Parts: sequence; structure tokens; C-alpha cells
Amino acid sequence: MKEKNGLRLARRLALGPYGLWAMLFILVPLLFVAYYAFTDNDFAFTTDNIARFFTATSVSDGVVTHTYLLIFWRSLKLAVISTVICLLMGYPIAYILSRSPLRTQKILITLIMIPMWMNFLIRTYAWMTILQDTGILNSFLRLLSLRPVHIIGTEGAVVIGMVYDYFPYMILPIYSVMAKMDVRLEEAARDLGCNSFGVLRRVIFPLSLPGVISGVTMVLIPSISTFYISQKLGNGKFYLIGDAIEGQYVANNLHFAAAIAFILMVILLIGMALMQRYANSRAAA
Amino acid sequence: MRKIIELKNVSKAFDGQTVLDNVSLDIYDNEFLTLLGPSGCGKTTTLRIIAGFESPDSGSLSFLGEDILSLPPHRRNVNTVFQRYALFPHLNVFENIAFPLREKKVPQDEIRGKVDEMLRLVALTGFEKRSVTSLSGGQQQRVAIARALISRPKVLLLDEPLAALDLKLRKDMQQELKNIQKATGITFVFVTHDQEEALSMSDTVVVMSEGRIQQIGTPIDIYNEPRNAFVADFIGESNILSGIMLQDRLVRFSGRDFPCVDEGFARNEPVDVVIRPEDVVIVPKGQLRGTVTSVTFLGVHYEIIVDIGGFKWMIQTTGFADVGDEIGIYVDPENIHIMKKSEYSGLFGDYSSFSNEFDELSDAESEAEP
Amino acid sequence: MKTSAKIYTALIMLFLFAPIAILLIFSFNAAKSLSVFSGFSLYWYRELFRDAETLGAVRNTLVLALSAAVLSTAMGTAAAVGIFRLRSKVLRAAYDTVTNIPMINPDIITGISLMLMFVFVGRLFGAATSLNFWTMLIAHITFCLPYVILQVLPKLQQMDASLPEAAMDLGCTPFRAFLKVEIPEIMPGIVTGLIMAFTLSLDDFVISYFTAGNGFQTLPIRIYNMTKKTVTPKMYALSTIIFFTILALLIMTNLIDTGPGVEKQEKKERSAASKRRTKLAFGIGAVLAVGMAAVLFLGAPKKPVLNVYNWGEYISDGSEDSFDVLQGFEDWYLANYGHEVEVNYTTFASNEDMYAKLSSGAVSYDVIVPSDYMIARMREEGMLLPLDFDNIPNYQYIGESFKNLYYDPDNLYSVPYTYNFTGIIYDANRVDEADTGDWDLLWNPKYAGQILQFNNSRDAFGTAQYKLGLDVNSDDPADWQAALAALKEQQPLVKSYVMDEVYNMMESGEAAVCTYYAGDYFIMADAQAPGVELSFYAPERTNYFVDAFCIPTCCQNKELAEAFINYMLEYEPAVANAEYICYGCPNRLVYEDGAYAEDMGEEAMEILYPNLDDFGEKYEQFAFRNLSPAMLGTINTLWEELKIN
Repeated sequence: MKEKNGLRLARRLALGPYGLWAMLFILVPLLFVAYYAFTDNDFAFTTDNIARFFTATSVSDGVVTHTYLLIFWRSLKLAVISTVICLLMGYPIAYILSRSPLRTQKILITLIMIPMWMNFLIRTYAWMTILQDTGILNSFLRLLSLRPVHIIGTEGAVVIGMVYDYFPYMILPIYSVMAKMDVRLEEAARDLGCNSFGVLRRVIFPLSLPGVISGVTMVLIPSISTFYISQKLGNGKFYLIGDAIEGQYVANNLHFAAAIAFILMVILLIGMALMQRYANSRAAA
Repeated sequence: MRKIIELKNVSKAFDGQTVLDNVSLDIYDNEFLTLLGPSGCGKTTTLRIIAGFESPDSGSLSFLGEDILSLPPHRRNVNTVFQRYALFPHLNVFENIAFPLREKKVPQDEIRGKVDEMLRLVALTGFEKRSVTSLSGGQQQRVAIARALISRPKVLLLDEPLAALDLKLRKDMQQELKNIQKATGITFVFVTHDQEEALSMSDTVVVMSEGRIQQIGTPIDIYNEPRNAFVADFIGESNILSGIMLQDRLVRFSGRDFPCVDEGFARNEPVDVVIRPEDVVIVPKGQLRGTVTSVTFLGVHYEIIVDIGGFKWMIQTTGFADVGDEIGIYVDPENIHIMKKSEYSGLFGDYSSFSNEFDELSDAESEAEP
Repeated sequence: MKTSAKIYTALIMLFLFAPIAILLIFSFNAAKSLSVFSGFSLYWYRELFRDAETLGAVRNTLVLALSAAVLSTAMGTAAAVGIFRLRSKVLRAAYDTVTNIPMINPDIITGISLMLMFVFVGRLFGAATSLNFWTMLIAHITFCLPYVILQVLPKLQQMDASLPEAAMDLGCTPFRAFLKVEIPEIMPGIVTGLIMAFTLSLDDFVISYFTAGNGFQTLPIRIYNMTKKTVTPKMYALSTIIFFTILALLIMTNLIDTGPGVEKQEKKERSAASKRRTKLAFGIGAVLAVGMAAVLFLGAPKKPVLNVYNWGEYISDGSEDSFDVLQGFEDWYLANYGHEVEVNYTTFASNEDMYAKLSSGAVSYDVIVPSDYMIARMREEGMLLPLDFDNIPNYQYIGESFKNLYYDPDNLYSVPYTYNFTGIIYDANRVDEADTGDWDLLWNPKYAGQILQFNNSRDAFGTAQYKLGLDVNSDDPADWQAALAALKEQQPLVKSYVMDEVYNMMESGEAAVCTYYAGDYFIMADAQAPGVELSFYAPERTNYFVDAFCIPTCCQNKELAEAFINYMLEYEPAVANAEYICYGCPNRLVYEDGAYAEDMGEEAMEILYPNLDDFGEKYEQFAFRNLSPAMLGTINTLWEELKIN
């Protein structure tokens, strides 16, 4: 049986480096986040950092607000809006793609992916040039003698930036699920009396749900934690949770930065678990 | 005849579920041996143990008298034809067949010659450069056989190789496999769940069920002298009735005494009585009488179900009877087979719930399973 | 496709490529502006190829992305094979979960978590630097791994499980069976995984930002650190080159992949094509790997290295026909000391950014350029080494006004590099002359929606404190509350809180009033759009600051560092830097030089060098000083309070 064991050992060995790596560089670092979050500058245990996130308040015009809860709420709101827009814009294009001739599909997918290879900071910068009040968009509107619009520095601009930067992450997973879907299913549904909307609602959408979920995850997560887009396109007016973490890091408050990161991580993990559960229950039903 | 492979008391369980239970089996030189049984009976596992892909929990396996359990697959002198052929999609026909020789670093000229020879054997000359994915099922099958035979193994293992082919092709391939086996003189161990295939091709049939060997014998022995109700039912159709052996050559079932040819049972021993449907003759008066409940025309003969005292018999006959007719039957003493009671007694042989469609469905099911 | 689908697809493509088109166009801009196109020119492409720092960053980015892609693909493939073979359901679930973590955790958390660990472990072992190329590589491999695994695993699952068994049956050892049968089967997954890992690593900014260390700067970090000055069209030129390179590569692989008259060809042709593609992928991989090894091993310098940590865009680097000071130093050093040195130059975006990196013990530098208040803080915390002025004879050229300042009263730790002050820049075509003169312009409702304020707490609070006549270094929280109230009052008028974005907004006329550093006014005025007439004044009470060379305690080669500082005070590099940065220069060789004065122009000389005799006095009165950690915490909180509204 020696050689057999050797074989099993080889399989273990193939997994070994990754197992060790995942332990050292995925799991242990998360423990460090928790460790920093629950200690003060002298590494003594404290819950102050966590408490500060939930209790810190600020007063403006006599109204008391919870600083970090408000920041978190704003981040969540903008991220959800961006995700929904990505989904609404991306779903049809994914469908169109998956039903195009193969050659067209290939070209379009390549086109969609090209912007991902351009540096994300530079892309965001280019949006500034487009959106600012004297920017390309408004020059164009003036040319058509339309009223110029004020976008830069609004929540709208931040949302545009997020949608733009993460849009391909929504299209690609939905497309890959739809491309595998049997076209005959649609024909069967039509044959059985569904109209176009019925086909979408009762056949295409349920089947594409796994793609939708991974697309939503891949857009929501980075947009909730971004800290560059808001600085550039929001004119520095929209302080998001990512900005808060980066701000605390730059101000050398590592422990509080870790606390914010820890809370964000816990909230996201719970959120993802719930979403996965929902997806599973849908799949089971 | 020389014994090539010997399995002794081999047992194997997956996740606590027994798959092989104390199996012992000898395989001889130049033999066409078939492992026959429904899916999950352990036949494929037996094959994989011989090939070296699984190791048994207990028991021994020897090859020409030498224990080979510790040898990995690539060092065993057996080759396998896989169920779905397992041809390498990134290699063409020639390279697939040449694969084992390339592993052994055989010189190119020699490879050329041997591959040509194999292609001739499986009638695929001229297909060398074709991609294996462009071949039909039958052609892929031949490539798989050529590939497995090229290094002249002592034993060729075939795991349901014909399951994916359509009926006509399957018949042709059965004949061809048999021819190849004769031409090469290599021992074939063939796994199938199709009893007709097993009976028509094999020198020896091993009937398996629930991880145990039920009977080993020539196709004729197995058909004529099934050892228990399971074998009787699995090999062809059988009416199996519960009876009592009154004395030698006299058995009682269905409330009547019948003369038979079996001896050697204890007096008044409970037994299973097997009567093949084609051995039942319809006569005006007969030993037993009953009412016809269904008639199916099958081309060569009719299949008639008769209710006799609540037990439904199957009869295959060229004569005709209509549903509702009351008929008499007669069974020749030669055709009454007596078996000892076994755990399978009472499970098979009554056609109360029988329908052809159901039979086909369950066949298809067992084929679909790996 | 239906017409509606075509139109929709076209609109989406327009959305995706509009910004790309913008950067293609502006990369050919004759002027420095990113918002006003003033003529076609290849100027920025020439500039790009002269910019050693950017090219170095490109090289670093490629080296890192390639190493990360190759290593994560190798490890990820092995891992996928191992996971695929796992029989235990529990182990399988555990691996799936762990693999998912870097994908559902935001980048910022992955970055922070790795940084915390590296720094902690580095400190534990007393390492001088815990962040370096290798920590970045580890971070990149870590976030690429799951993507590789998720590409390879499905290919294994799709593979007929009996294929490897067949190979073993036919005489292969398990390992040979893996090489000869499994690898070709899962190759498409491996190639996709490799490309994905490369792409992700190439574009990553956030994780790199937290784990970047000593002298190893990637392109995204270089771009981010340009925020003190401005992102130049040079970067657009670089992006344009990247764009066309990728386009060419994609077209090439597509041509090879499909060839002429593809669609109707038989399957076997396709498999031949895919084989060719696999070979091509291997070929490219091999060439890149060899290139990488060459860069890593040949590029590793054996000469002494000087690590310099400076603000972004804060040295004359040979761009725009300027003198390349770093190259100058290497030549000068060879000529004077007889052996070669190499300068490893890295940039930071703010004092706090630099302080965070240095105090974490994550990095080690030989020369740094902090601002005054940060020098005071670092000196108090024992983070600076006293200088040996015998090695810096050129210190004699520093003007007397710039000596004995509060942050270094005995002139032991620092050598001034630049000085400057905050002022107000406005568009004379839109702002009444009568409204100018003091800080009130920033609070003037007449210019609502056209005012820019600093996006950095200390400078922003400063404007309010100078306006209100408060002490900018007050330790009374009430003073800061008052300043906050003023900022809140100003908030509705503010168009934008900015740092480097100020250039574009002022140049293009997007905003009419801003507060920024005096030297930067000249850069903006040079690039102003037609119809914009920028002007500058400094209110009486304003922030004066000095940035100075210092040597941190983590310095590895102090004499070399002092030689560098000394060189920076020589005539040629000093003038070049002063003209490049446009800030005031405390070096007499410079500000008393006629040629320099002529280059800068009368207006600039008047603004930058008003009357240096009372500089020391004003400086002592108004400059930012180091505040206590508690006070800094308070300011941070107040700043967040302002920003959330």
C-alpha cells in the first residue's frame, strides 16, 4: 500500500501550499483586524474603538447625528443605488450579448473588458473632465443650446463613477450564465403561452439568478468601500466609509481604522450569508 | 487452464456502505468472463479493484500467483476500456492509440507499425489524423479498444463499453469484441447489466447482487439451473412459486402435486419452484386452470398473463387466447426447476404488477447510473 | 439583432468609451490642462519617455503583476486540483469558504488586514522595514488566488473523471497522467486564470496602497501620489499607449484564434487553433517570465542605493526640458566620490501619509522631505538623526531668515528645501477687485458655488482661523469649534473641497475663487483657458511653511544621504528645482541669481520673495505647529463632522 499512500500524499501536497497560504495570508490577517479593533495604542483590550463607531455624534444646526452611522448609511445608499443601476443597465446588455452571433459576442465582450485594463484612477480622472460644469458634457449641451447640467460634486456624479468603474463586473457573470442557457427553454415558455415579459419573469430571470447574485456582489462590495471615486467626483463632499478608514489610517489611528474595517467586514459577511441563503432557497424552490 | 487473476475474500465499503461483501473469484487464461448484475451490485468496483483504481478494505488480489494490491495502475499488466471511452480530446486517433507506447519510450518506427496493426484490427485504417471528438460513438469505441490492446495486456477490462451505443451497433460490436478476443487470445473481463449481452458473449458469467456473487457458471448453466430466485429472475423471465418438496421427484405448489426431476432435498422442505414462461403449455384441461388477464403480441410469440389462484403466471406461446378466456396449463416435469429457499424468495417471479413499459423504464434507469 | 438592441448596445459602448476617448484626445493636448484643449502635440509622449520615475513605476507594475500572475496561477492550479480531489465534505466546505473570503471582502479590508499583520510581525522581529516588494507580492498573490482557483475548478469538474485513470491504466504514473492528460484538459481555465490574475494585479490600487513599501512604487500609487501637484496629460499619454497595446494584443489573439473563414470549419481545425493558442500563451508566458527574471536579477543593483522619500512632483525630473536632478546627483557622485550610486525615489501624498508609513516601521528611507510641523513632531518623537554639517558645506547658502525656526531652533536636524505660503487665487474676470484682499473672499456669498476650499483638515481650518483672527495652533477646543462653525457657514458656498483637482477647476474657469499655495498659482496661470484671468494675493495673516530635508533614524547610509542633501544645494540642481516646483527657495544661490529671476518673471519674484527680512517673524507668528495627539484627534473628529454634511 506504500505507493497508494504516496499518491494520496501527492494530492495533499498539491493542496498544501495553498492551505498554508490561505491560513497565513487570508485568515490570520483577519484576526489581526479583530485584534487591532479591540485594543488601544498599547495593545490593551478595549471596546472603545467599536463603541466609538456606534456612539460618536456630531451637531449641526442643532441636529445631533451619529457620525459614523451616517457615513455608513450614506455609503450603503450610494452603493445600493449604483448596484441597482448597474443591474438595470447590465441585464439587457448581457441578454443581448448572449443571443448574438458568436463572433459578435466575442467582439462585444472584448470591448466591454478593455476599459478594465485602463488604470482606474485615470478613468475616474477622465470623468472629471467630462462632468465638470465647464466640461465636455456641458460644452456639448451648450452646442445644442440646451441648458447645462450641474453634476460634478453631487451624489449623482459619485454614482456615475461607481457605475462606470464596476459595470463590467455586473455584465460578465450574468452574461456567462445566460450564454449557457438553452434557447429552447424560451421557445418552450412561449409555446406554453408566456408573453415576452412572462418569459423574462418566469424563465430567464430565475435561471440567471446565480449570475445576478455574483454580479451584485461584485459591484456592491467595491462600491461600498471605495475611497477614491468619492474624493474626485464628489468634490470631496461625500465622505464615505472607505474615506473614513483611509482617513484614520493616514491620521495614524490604526486601531480605529481597524475597528471600522472590522465592523464593515462583519456587516458585509452577514449580508452575503443572508443573500446566499435567499439564493439557495430560491434555487431549492 | 491457467489461473490469471484470483480475488480472495475481497470486501469494500464507501462511506460505511458495503459495496463488495467477501467476494472471491478466479479468472482464467483466454477466458471471456462477464460480471453481470443490476447497477450498484459491485461489478464495476470489482473491475476497478483489478485495474488498481480502488483498493479493497480487506482480502487479497493476485495476478499469476503474485500479490498485486500494492501495485499502482500503471504497473499492472491489465488495461481498461472505459464506459465513456475516456479518449484524450487533445490528441488525435493515432496519438491516442500510441499513448501507452510513448509512455514506454518506444522508438517511432515501432510505434508506427504497432498502431497500424491495431487500426487494422479495429478496422479504422485511414483515421490516424482525425480528431477523436469528430468520431461516431462506435468509432470512438474502437479507438478505445485499440488503445487498451496495443501494449498487449494479459487481461482487458471492459466497463459497460457498449452501453452508450444504439441497439444495432451494439449487436455488431458484441460480435466484433468476441472476434477480437478470439484473435488476440487475451482474457476479457466484461462488465454489463444486460443479461442478453452476457449470455451471448461470455464463456463464464458471474451474476452479482448487493456486493455478493450469486452464481458463477456457463451461460447455459446459469439460464437452466439458476441457483436462487434472484438469478432466475435476472436471467430471463421466470415464474417463481413457493412450494414444498414432498419427496424426491415430487413437489407441491399451487395446491397440487407435480412430478419433477430434482432429488436430494429433505422431506417436506420448503423450496422455490422456477418455471420459465416458454415452458408453460396451454391445454384444454391441464394441471392448473386460470383466467387470462392480459395478452401482448410480441411478433414471434404472445405474452399471456394468467391468474391462477391469485398468482399471476407469465406464459410465452405461439397459440392464442383472449382476455377473459379460462384456460388450462401443463408443465413438463423436466421444466420444473427446484431451488433452495434464499433471501430472495418471495421477492420475484409474480407478474401481478408486471408491464413491459415498467421493465424498460427500470432498464433505462440502471443504464443511466454510472 | 433588433434595431432597438443595436441602439442600446451602442449607447452602452458610448458610456464605456467616453472617458477613454477623452483621455486619448487630451494625451495629445499641447498645453498641460486636462480640461482645455489647446492644440495637437506629441509633447506629452516625449515627456513620458523622459520620465524615469513613471517608467520605473510601469516596470515595477509589470514585474509585480507578472510575478503575482505566474505564482498565483501555479499555486491556484495545484490548489484546485487538490480541492477537486478532496473527499471530505467538511474540508471541502472549509476550503470553499476560505477561497471566497478575499472575493467578498472589500479590497480596503484585505489591504488593511495584510498591512496590520506585516507591520506587527515586522516589529516583532525588529525589522527596519516590514513592507517591501515581497509584501506587495504576497498581497497580490493572495487576492489573485481565488480567481485562478475559480477558473480552474470548473474545468476539472467538466473533465471526464476517467481520463486521468485511463492515462494511468495505459502506463502513466499519477504525476505523468496529470501532466499529459489533465493539464491539457484544464489549460483554458489556467490561461483565463493567468490573464485574470495579471489584469487584477495590474489595476489594483487599494491593496497596493496599504501594502506598498520601500522604493517599490507601482503605477497606480504613483498616480495617486501626484495629488499634491497635478495629474498631467503624461499619464493620459501612458494610458493611450496601454490602450493601443491591449487592443493590438487582443486583435492578434483573435486573428490567431479564428483565422480566415473560421465559422464553417470543422471541429478539428478549431482544436488545432486552440492548440496554437495554448502554444502562443505558453510562448508569451515564457518570454515574459524570462524578461521578469532578467529585470529582477540583472536589475538588482549592486551599487549603494539611496532611498529618497519626497512629495509627488516635487523635484526637477527632466520632464518639460528641465534638468534631471536625480541623474545629476548620480553623475556628480561618481565624479566626486569615484563610485556609482543609485537613487531610489519614492513619493508620498501628505505629511501624515509619510508619517504613517515611517512610524509603522514598515519602510526605511535615507532622506525625507517633511514639512515644518511634522519635523517638530518627528524630532520630539526621536525619529530624526542630527545632521553632520561637515558633510553639507553648502548649508552656508541658506538664507539667514530660514535658520533657527521653531521646528529646529538649533539647526541640527533639517536643511530647508522650499518655503511657501497659502494665498487666494481668483479669476479677475469674475471677481470684483474690491472684494479681494483678505480671507473674506472665501466667504463671500456673491461667489456662491464658485469657491474652492482645501480638502485637508489643517489647511481648511487654517483659513477659518486666520479669517477669525484665531491662533492656528490653539489648544483650546473652543477655538476649533469656532473655526468649524465658520467652515459650516461657508459650506453652502463651496463648490468643491479639492487638492490637486484645483488646477483643472481654476484653469478651465470651473471655479472662480480658491485658496492654495502661492507657487501653484504660476502653474495655473500658465495653463488658464481663454476668458480666464487668474490673479493672486496673500492675506496678511496666512500660513507660511517650510519643507526641509531630514534624515530619519531608519537611514541605512547617512553619509550618502548627507552628500545628496549637499548636492541639492548646488547651484544647478537648486535652480532647476526652484523653477520646476515654483515655490520659494531658501537658497541664496537661487534667489539672488539674475537668470533665475528672469526665468520666473517679475510678478513671481514679487509674490515669492516679498521681503525676506521679516519672513522669520511672520513665520513664527502664523506657521502651523505640531499639535498634541489629542488635539489632532479632535480636529479629525471635527473635520469628519464637517464632511458628513
